[in-house]
Amino acid sequence: MTPIKGLLIAAILAVLVWAFRHRSRVGMRAGIKLAAVALAGVGVAAVADPGLTQDLANLVGVTRGTDLMLYVLVVVFAFTQAGTYFRFRELEVRFAKAVRAQAISQAVERDGPPGPRLAADPPA
Amino acid sequence: MTGNVPYGDVWVIVRCYNEAEVVGSVIAELKDSFPNVVGVDDGSSDRSGDVMREAGARVVCHSVNLGAGAALQTGVEFALIDPGARYLVCFDADGQHRVGDAVAMVDRARSEGLDLLVGSRFLGTAPTGMPLSRKVVLRVGRVFERLTTGVALSDAHNGLRVFSRRFASGLSLSSSDMAYATELLEAVARSGFRYGEHPVEIRYNAYTLEKGERSINSVNIAFDVLVKALLGRGR
Repeated sequence: MTPIKGLLIAAILAVLVWAFRHRSRVGMRAGIKLAAVALAGVGVAAVADPGLTQDLANLVGVTRGTDLMLYVLVVVFAFTQAGTYFRFRELEVRFAKAVRAQAISQAVERDGPPGPRLAADPPA
Repeated sequence: MTGNVPYGDVWVIVRCYNEAEVVGSVIAELKDSFPNVVGVDDGSSDRSGDVMREAGARVVCHSVNLGAGAALQTGVEFALIDPGARYLVCFDADGQHRVGDAVAMVDRARSEGLDLLVGSRFLGTAPTGMPLSRKVVLRVGRVFERLTTGVALSDAHNGLRVFSRRFASGLSLSSSDMAYATELLEAVARSGFRYGEHPVEIRYNAYTLEKGERSINSVNIAFDVLVKALLGRGR
């Protein structure tokens, strides 16, 4: 592996980390949507003109257009996987909060709030 | 102590998922020493909730199974509704802990002003009956957690713990599963509160080993902790 490849891999990983640490910012969410649209545009252009991916590959120093496509898809896949992971984690936390609130509310409604019982209180 | 009731300012939290076979005797034994016990039925499909109620515990029922961390957070939030609660004890439902250890830990937390006191099976007499795989996982976990949280405990995944009210009030466990143990260490590291370890004995038997955490689950825990540490903080 040449040093430039190592630097590029490190750069991709750094961008991934940075993007996900700031994923909730409005600008970041908008950027991801724009990137998805741009990627779709490149996809359409590549279908219309298959030589385009080779031209792009030549531009960035990759031997074949298909290799460039593979690299881009790996990065997109990593983004998608990480995004799905966090989305599920966030939904899980919200779901747990809702279930918890319901459970505590039912327990308090059924037997009263936890705490010292007065003599007049009914038994739990 | 609240009024004349010994340990009246202590709430014991027992998380329970399909433990109807043993949880009744665990609650009954706890009630001999602690007047306040809350059982969190984490969506059990058996009679765990009814058994805990019949044994004298207050019961909070999750409508679906959420996991150990989520159940603990529920127990904490319920106990903190009681303004008289000063200490919270986490106690496993499968009968692996000794009530005497919980009592000694509350006494020590109170006398030494500790905010988090975690039981350790490695500080007292050498544990017997522990599978080799669990020993290895716990030792690797100890190094991993020291590196990721900076907190050095010999047995952070021990289910017997004592929280002070001020420590518990700041808790907001987001890990539904067993990764919550690492979250507790992160919380104590952030807060700067006083913490300690206390030698406890674990009663290993066929039931506790069958119901206990699988060693391979440590891979899931480590993955979640690392991803959260690396990517999960930015909001």
